[in-house]
Amino acid sequence: MMMNSNSQSQSAQLIRETTAKADVSPYTSKKYLQWIEKAKDFMFAVPALIFLGVFLYYPLMNSVYISFTNWNMTKPVKKFVGTENYVKLFKNEDLYQSLKVTLHYTLLDVVLTLTIGLMLALLFNVFRSKMYAVMRGIIFMPHYISMVIAAMVFTWIYNGQYGLLNRVTDLMGFEPIQWLTNPSTALPALVAVSVWKGVGFAMMLFISGMRGIPNEYYEAAAIDGASGLSRFRYITLPLLSPMTLFLVITTFISSMQVFQSIDIMTNGGPLQATNAIVYWIYTMAFTEFKTGRASALVMILFVIILVLTIIQWLVSRKQVHYEG
Amino acid sequence: MKTLKWLNPVLAIILTLTLAACGGNTNTAGSADAAGKGNNSSAPVADSGLKDDTTPVKIQYWHAHGDAQIEGLNKMIEAFQAKYPHITVEPVFQGGYDDLHKKLQAAVAAGDVPAVTNVEVASLPNFADSGVFADLTPWINRDEVDTNDFAKGMLQAYAYNGKQFGFPLIVSTSVFVYNKTLLDQLGVQPPQTWDEIEAFNEKVTERKDGKTTRYAFAVPGWDTWYYDPWLINGGGQILNEEGQAAVDTPESLRYVQNFQKWIKDGSMQMGYGKGASDNMRQMFLGGQIAMVEHTSAMLKTYRENASFEVGVSFLPGDKTRTSNIGGAGIVIMDGASDLEKEAAWKFVQFMTAAENNIGWAESVGYLPTRKSALETEEGKAYFGRWPQYKAVFDNFDNVTPRLQHPAYPEFSSVYKEVIGEMVLNQADPAQLMPEAAKKMNEILEDYE
Repeated sequence: MMMNSNSQSQSAQLIRETTAKADVSPYTSKKYLQWIEKAKDFMFAVPALIFLGVFLYYPLMNSVYISFTNWNMTKPVKKFVGTENYVKLFKNEDLYQSLKVTLHYTLLDVVLTLTIGLMLALLFNVFRSKMYAVMRGIIFMPHYISMVIAAMVFTWIYNGQYGLLNRVTDLMGFEPIQWLTNPSTALPALVAVSVWKGVGFAMMLFISGMRGIPNEYYEAAAIDGASGLSRFRYITLPLLSPMTLFLVITTFISSMQVFQSIDIMTNGGPLQATNAIVYWIYTMAFTEFKTGRASALVMILFVIILVLTIIQWLVSRKQVHYEG
Repeated sequence: MKTLKWLNPVLAIILTLTLAACGGNTNTAGSADAAGKGNNSSAPVADSGLKDDTTPVKIQYWHAHGDAQIEGLNKMIEAFQAKYPHITVEPVFQGGYDDLHKKLQAAVAAGDVPAVTNVEVASLPNFADSGVFADLTPWINRDEVDTNDFAKGMLQAYAYNGKQFGFPLIVSTSVFVYNKTLLDQLGVQPPQTWDEIEAFNEKVTERKDGKTTRYAFAVPGWDTWYYDPWLINGGGQILNEEGQAAVDTPESLRYVQNFQKWIKDGSMQMGYGKGASDNMRQMFLGGQIAMVEHTSAMLKTYRENASFEVGVSFLPGDKTRTSNIGGAGIVIMDGASDLEKEAAWKFVQFMTAAENNIGWAESVGYLPTRKSALETEEGKAYFGRWPQYKAVFDNFDNVTPRLQHPAYPEFSSVYKEVIGEMVLNQADPAQLMPEAAKKMNEILEDYE
């Protein structure tokens, strides 16, 4: 009995001890459970990470490496040449011409897409009208057309001999214009295609942004006797700024990387007038067989886009109003 | 921020793995190089044990044959497979030459190459320089192929650094295609020398209110292939003996200064950029240009679409009278297995054999390449049907390879741009050429 009670108290002691220990045990502690949770979260991300690792991070790191070699894709050895590729690029005046073309294109594209998109949004932001919905659909449609197809159609429209556009200018009594083979019209012609494709999307985003603006503001302004223009200037525009920022950054990045339309419509010509940087990278890597040099150019483009995007973001911190 | 702490080690691991993978890649590339060298140093006579081997083998033939050539190609492959039942040839259309080259590049980088492919003549040096193509010499020696039967220039165009990397397959050259009906009416002959050009212009050009309504002739500005022979014929050089750009010497400028003069006086048409080729063709067929320089491969199209009789004349000469070889050859990829390469060699031989030469040339609209083929009954019948080609074959030995240089595709675009400036902006080429030459030399520095 004595022994029994002893063992009982011992086991009670043991239980107490274990329970006490349990609070700090590595297997049941709060920290451990949190860690398990995080690991679980991480496991969900693993498939995506593996995919990104193979198709994004590895090629990315590898192209940094290639940019320091003189590889041409077919040579069996990648010879390390240090910063030679970068030095030669910065000494090449074509780089500055290409940057000029790219920035020119980007500026035109961003400004025109956003302005026209905003104007269309103001025009078509009408509730309960099937007609307007259909027209919005029509304007949005080019967004779904692949750039390759759009570019081929426009190549035909712009044709200097028998193109549709020159039929129109002819009817108005103008001389035929060689849209794509004239250095001064080729770039605007390319921008026009991009704007035509992009305005529908910009319009839709602006419309959804406008519908997110509470009606009370407009009612209050109306009571105060604000004109339509000042309502737009002081209510619509500021409250659309998050949407505008989003559109500026996405349009900016995509037009900095313009490629397909150039490849199909102008091949970077005439006289390098449309030799935007991504197209130049492509010809350098795949026509001139200079993979190393082209990779160096990719790095330069990466830095430029990064810097410009950061600038946009910093400026926007002061200018963008988030409602509420 | 605390919640993201675990991210650092994970990222570090990813980074390390990435770098390790980079290193691994370099190693495999290195060993591939060693293997490649082993192949190159093999005996100049190919393994004869494989010659009669009949292990079934399947090879891919990457090509750039357009729709019009496919029927002829399929017939050739059928006949080839009947001759060698153990070999299956799978033709793969890879687009135009540019697309084909890009895919070849990627295939080499990936280490998974077709056994046999087309290659455009000006791009051969760059690929050959990297050791991508197999040297055919061992097989030529083993099977005692009489290479002298090929037109000399055409064969040379597919040799580089003393090695024969391929045989000419679809060969073209630039010629003057002229409106024979019109010239007969006017009683003029196409010019045979530069001296005759101005008299020709005088008689053929038609103007109305100071604007040309009919140009005497056209030279394409969109591809250097069309005016490189003019540069050479004027006594100039693209690169001099030291390998430096020589496009700005007085001799090298003669042709372009003439062009400038003729464009100014409205007797010569020159197109530049995309769509210029279609434009020139339309103008010729519409009677607005009396004579156009174009590839001989277009002759079939012109003959089928013109409402008048079409004649062909060789390019006029001055110091020399040559024209350059264009089109593509057929080559074997060095990365293929020995068994595939043997099958590929049999295919190359079959596609370029003298007995198939006329039939092949006629079905694809390119030039015959074999001297012996021209002498046969079939060859004579061919000239009966295509009297226009006589102008080319009378100058068979003046059809020369283009300048062979790995950087040609790159530096030729520099002096092409000067032509563009002249055509589009009325710039003076003599002023721009020295700058172009400087730029070319900068490009050439990379290849020393």
